[in-house]
Amino acid sequence: MDYDLGERADALRLRLRRLIEEQVPDDFLGAFTDDPEDLALAQRFCKTLAAEGLLALAWPAEYGGGAGSVWEQTVVREEMWAHHEPRGAQYMGINWVGPALMRHGTAEQRAKHLPPIAAGDVIWCQGFSEPEAGSDLASMRTRAIADDDGWLITGQKVWTSYALMADWCVLAACTDPDAGPGGRITLFLVPMDRPGLSVRPIPSMLGPHHLNELFLDELRVTPGDVLGEVGGGWRAIRDALAFERVGIARYARCDALLARVREALGDEWETLPAGLRARWVRAMVDVRVARLLAYAAVGAQEDGEPDDAIASLARIATTQTDQSVAEVLLEAAGPDGLQGGREGFLHGAVEDHWRYAQAATVSSGTIEVQRMLVARAALGGRR
Amino acid sequence: MRTALPEDVVAFGRSARGRLEALGGVRLTLAAETDPASREAVARALDDVGAFDVDPRRSPDELLAAAELCRVAGAVALPFPVVEQLMAVDGARVALVDPLRPRIDHGDLPGRWLAVDLDGHAHVAETGSRTASRLGPFVVPAALVASAPDVPVDDVSRHLVLGAWRVLGGLETALALATAHVVAREQFGRALAEFQAVRFAIADATVAVRGLTELAKYTVWRLGAAGPEARQADALVLRLHACDVARDVLRTCHQLFGALGFCDEHDVSVIDRHLQPLLRLPYASESLADRLVPAVRDGSFESLFTSA
Repeated sequence: MDYDLGERADALRLRLRRLIEEQVPDDFLGAFTDDPEDLALAQRFCKTLAAEGLLALAWPAEYGGGAGSVWEQTVVREEMWAHHEPRGAQYMGINWVGPALMRHGTAEQRAKHLPPIAAGDVIWCQGFSEPEAGSDLASMRTRAIADDDGWLITGQKVWTSYALMADWCVLAACTDPDAGPGGRITLFLVPMDRPGLSVRPIPSMLGPHHLNELFLDELRVTPGDVLGEVGGGWRAIRDALAFERVGIARYARCDALLARVREALGDEWETLPAGLRARWVRAMVDVRVARLLAYAAVGAQEDGEPDDAIASLARIATTQTDQSVAEVLLEAAGPDGLQGGREGFLHGAVEDHWRYAQAATVSSGTIEVQRMLVARAALGGRR
Repeated sequence: MRTALPEDVVAFGRSARGRLEALGGVRLTLAAETDPASREAVARALDDVGAFDVDPRRSPDELLAAAELCRVAGAVALPFPVVEQLMAVDGARVALVDPLRPRIDHGDLPGRWLAVDLDGHAHVAETGSRTASRLGPFVVPAALVASAPDVPVDDVSRHLVLGAWRVLGGLETALALATAHVVAREQFGRALAEFQAVRFAIADATVAVRGLTELAKYTVWRLGAAGPEARQADALVLRLHACDVARDVLRTCHQLFGALGFCDEHDVSVIDRHLQPLLRLPYASESLADRLVPAVRDGSFESLFTSA
């Protein structure tokens, strides 16, 4: 039994921290702010990562990747999320759109899309959720109706992150309403500037760019736009959702912020109420446990035994930890914590974390869905 | 990174568990409350499986084997001080105590006892008689009669960790029993396991116990890999988390069993009553958390962003 990530992973962590220190300012809070310079910075940082062979570290060498181990990929996830994801929206293209193209795409699609993703040149979004289909994604209503040699898509998507800045979308639509979940949905690769597709941002407590609506009005798609088989979209969606369960190392930002806030408070930390300091201790314990559960899920992946239950266990732990740590930090920050933006406590990092953590148990598969999966493994049955 | 227990450790645990279950498992523990001969049989069985050939101080591998043995002891609520015997000094069993209110679980057994506080300060202890307590029926008061040479703080850490593994074993059994119960028990014409509230309760308890399992394994590794101050902090972290998880998981298990779970004819009641000393002695959750506050302050409670 050995919990050492290995020399290569340790060296990678130091290398990433050095790059971040050189290129990402301390007050960077992610690409999704009102300041367009934050997005520009993220795009520049992605170019640097791509040039260093680190952006597509997980990809096989034949697609321009670094063929990194699952533990090196884990280090990248941890360091990126801990430092407010300076890859911006790129993580979606790198982490699941690219792999989905490798697995389900045609040679032509792979040649067209993989190089720009690996180079950090393109931003992708995903059009899955709908007003009437949240956790129950398989019941989506957006219809793709056969027309000439393609389809016309009409419907609405919601909660689509990065839609305003995205160049491409992986769009899910129902091609056969009479089929079961395994046959009714098809995925399409659609450029965001195609006629028939419009975006409306949704103002929210999470901040700009996180939530948008997509309106689809007879959007024309062709057989060449289909990712995988017609009617085979559900399997690719499940792959994407499975990735999301371990894909975001929320515990790493909690870990980093607990250390940064502790340092920022200095001697004042000693004057926090004893009960809050005890919660702080438990927050650090929870972060450690969430990290170890994530490692257990990654270990199962490494062993070639992908395990829905351990991935869901890990996600439940990390999302709940995200929210409890956010409460501890905002309380420790005191009234100053309410001030967002760069003038706020720790450049607004605590306020930003608290807002974003509220969505942790909802986005990318709600905690209820994760509990269903864990319970199914323990008890059998469906829900 | 290899997070799975080694095969030989798993096999050792399986063998020990088989032997102890053959003695009667949790039922034996209930019998031992009134029949001293039961605990003598336990001592012989532990000898048979080579339990005390394991020296948790000798190597990380042996610490892990000792940990698995303690997990098995917890799984059957073994009426014997396995941790205290594994950590014995010159034939005297070692109990961790709060020196202001020394109590020793299984202190009624014949033999010498050393009472040690969390800083390693040791005293020869004279143990009193059992009371009529339902929570920890084998807990006795102790008097610290003479000082003894300090015990290394690493041994205190090992003791805390082995105790946490014992808690883990108890919780795994309790959760397995509750899980089986909700599948079998029908109310309102269907199995309890078909009610979503019940399923979510099982899911949350499963997350908690698996998290404790991962932390327990990691902490054993850390005792062989981290610096001295970090080792102390990590042992406290595990013991604190074991206490916190135990409170929630045992509550869930009782709730799912209904009144049945409070009956001594059911194992959950016995496991819970016999786990209580480990969850309170030498200190309970809040005191353990309090003792970790300085470790946050001085950085010995390490994380990805304090140790790099």
